[in-house]
Amino acid sequence: MNVTTLKTKAESQLREQFDAAAEKLPGTGWVSALRARAMDAFAAEGLPHRRVEEWKYTDLRERLRDVPAPGAATAKTVTSTDLDRALGPFAAIDAERIVLVDGVYSADLSKVSAEATVIELMSLAAMLEKAPAWLEGKFSSNGGAVVALNTAFMSDGVLLKVRKDQDPGKPVLLVHARTATEPTALAVRNVISVEAGAKLTLVEAHVTLDGAARGALSNIVTDVTIGDGATCDHIKSLADATASTHLATWTTKLGKDATYRGFQLTASPALARNDINILFNGEGGKLDLSGAFLARGAEHIDTTLVVDHAVPHCESRELFKGVLDGRAHGIFQGKIIVRPDAQKTDGKQMSQALMLSPDAQFSSKPELEIYADDVVCGHGATCTEIDADLLFYCRSRGIPPDVARAMLTESFIGEAVEKIENEAVREAIGTLAIDWLRTK
Amino acid sequence: MLEIKNLHARIADDGAEILRGIDLVVPKGEVHAIMGPNGSGKSTLAYVLAGRDDYEVTEGDIFWNGESILEMGPDERAAKGVFLAFQYPMEIPGVATMTFLRAALNAVRKKRGLKELTTPEFMKLVRAKAAELGVSDEMLKRPLNVGFSGGEKKRMEILQMSVLEPTLCVLDETDSGLDIDAIRIVSEGATKLRGPDRAMLVITHYQRLLNYIVPDKVHILAKGRIQKTGGKELALELEKSGYADFTGKAA
Ligand SMILES: Nc1ncnc2c1ncn2[C@@H]1O[C@H](COP(=O)(O)OP(=O)(O)OP(=O)(O)O)[C@@H](O)[C@H]1O
Ligand SMILES: [Mg+2]
Repeated sequence: MNVTTLKTKAESQLREQFDAAAEKLPGTGWVSALRARAMDAFAAEGLPHRRVEEWKYTDLRERLRDVPAPGAATAKTVTSTDLDRALGPFAAIDAERIVLVDGVYSADLSKVSAEATVIELMSLAAMLEKAPAWLEGKFSSNGGAVVALNTAFMSDGVLLKVRKDQDPGKPVLLVHARTATEPTALAVRNVISVEAGAKLTLVEAHVTLDGAARGALSNIVTDVTIGDGATCDHIKSLADATASTHLATWTTKLGKDATYRGFQLTASPALARNDINILFNGEGGKLDLSGAFLARGAEHIDTTLVVDHAVPHCESRELFKGVLDGRAHGIFQGKIIVRPDAQKTDGKQMSQALMLSPDAQFSSKPELEIYADDVVCGHGATCTEIDADLLFYCRSRGIPPDVARAMLTESFIGEAVEKIENEAVREAIGTLAIDWLRTK
Repeated sequence: MLEIKNLHARIADDGAEILRGIDLVVPKGEVHAIMGPNGSGKSTLAYVLAGRDDYEVTEGDIFWNGESILEMGPDERAAKGVFLAFQYPMEIPGVATMTFLRAALNAVRKKRGLKELTTPEFMKLVRAKAAELGVSDEMLKRPLNVGFSGGEKKRMEILQMSVLEPTLCVLDETDSGLDIDAIRIVSEGATKLRGPDRAMLVITHYQRLLNYIVPDKVHILAKGRIQKTGGKELALELEKSGYADFTGKAA
């Protein structure tokens, strides 16, 4: 019934781009059908806009006026030296390395030393070409417009599995590198599985190589399934300097007694929307989500999460900290659903923004939907400026005001960064955050 | 030399006048004590010296080494050698004490035209001074003052002072909250800094501290003005007679 709805320019572009690209995208048979269905589902809804409750503050229809063309596999060769430079503080971390260049898996740049009995790694594109039946079930049909677009356009990504009771012993660094010198649109899909009793520290680092175009669009979907008693640390880092639009969706399911610790650093994209969807699937699950969003100028960073306590005895913690300067707009929307059966749920959520300018804006919308009676749930939000007394104290010790402000801001986000369990990763994230604070 | 001339200051927010014409001279090499009843303006004077902008100077001036410091920000004053040991030191969550000390020392050294210390030089310096004041390595790693006891915070103030080597030291009730041994340790720390190039202003309620840091002069501050100045025996007199003489008169 919606097919006759007037389309925006961007929506028409997306349809045209899909029609033009469909042939070349990996996969035939059910994969093509899946893509076509997803495109139709997207077309029916169109780009999310402010009258869609979850997109109230991030009107994509308004903001996404022009959609860059889908990225083509680049002929440009990327050396590991180029890559290391782009990776900055992540380069030195002892990690398994998986690299996607402009949305395409690079076997040359990826280095995974773990035994196949520990980690199973496949390129999504390769598997879409083979199109085994089991793969079809990995693509959920109800992720909303952004996920539908991702399904329609996904060029590549990884299927990564840590086998039962295994521990790779070092973090897995999943690098999303952009090199294209023309603005392009990327759609990457990752499917991660941490089997029962296994452990994984996954770091998704979004980096741009020297000379990469400004104004790119990334749509990255990462689905994580954590088995019973398994632990997954999932860290995302985006420190942008290329005015990009970044749409990222994490959808994570936790099994019985599973632990999930997520962290997202989002620094200076033109626009970022981080969707995080968590489902507790088994009792005893533990969730600890945190993040730091740093924006200045007219940048816009939206973190929207839904934590679904579908079963009893699970614990969820969220702590998101924003530093907002200039006319930047930071948004935090956190919905906690406690289903009727989910007794003994323990949920706490906090979002805090530090405002460095009177023109910056912070919107916080916590929502508790509680249908069980024996639960402990709470949320809070604060919006503050740099504490004048602390600033005076620092200055009275000779510390100049700009250094003192940076130091106090650092300590503000430090509380979230400190939640990152892996020391090397924590330090790398800290370095990027400090770099951001010290650039003006 | 510190010269405070007819200093009037009020609270910036509500305009209430707290300092009502302070005149005070502390020559280099001397230690002066300021005593006075609660709420008489002692901390206000200390803050105004350090440059806190909650207070507005409406009249008078402050000279340090012949130069007016009123127009200088707190950090510039610190670079010129002004140091205030706070009555209530502040907690800075998330900033390790060592990191803070280092930022402060580097900043003042830079302003004073000295080169930055290397990490080993800095660590050595701080560890040595910390040991003298009974500040543990563990405390140096913790966020500044967070969870420190009242006495530990005061020691930390003196540690900062001895690291930054200021030439005008203002100690605001550094002795309150300290146990008897700590008063001795902290006073020894402060006394070490006594020297021909330094002036010290020690605010206290207790004569005990002045047994350790023997003052050249004692001033009584009440109702926003210096009411009386005398030698160290004035502190002893006060122990007996209290402040009644000073709070009653001089409206
Ligand atoms: N920022 C402020 N806002 C409001 N009132 C203030 C402020 N600073 C000082 N005052 C008031 O000014 C007066 C002097 O305060 P001050 O702290 O200087 O006293 P003090 O002599 O140090 O007292 P104490 O011996 O208790 O430390 C008090 O009445 C105090 O309440
Ligand atoms: Mg006081």
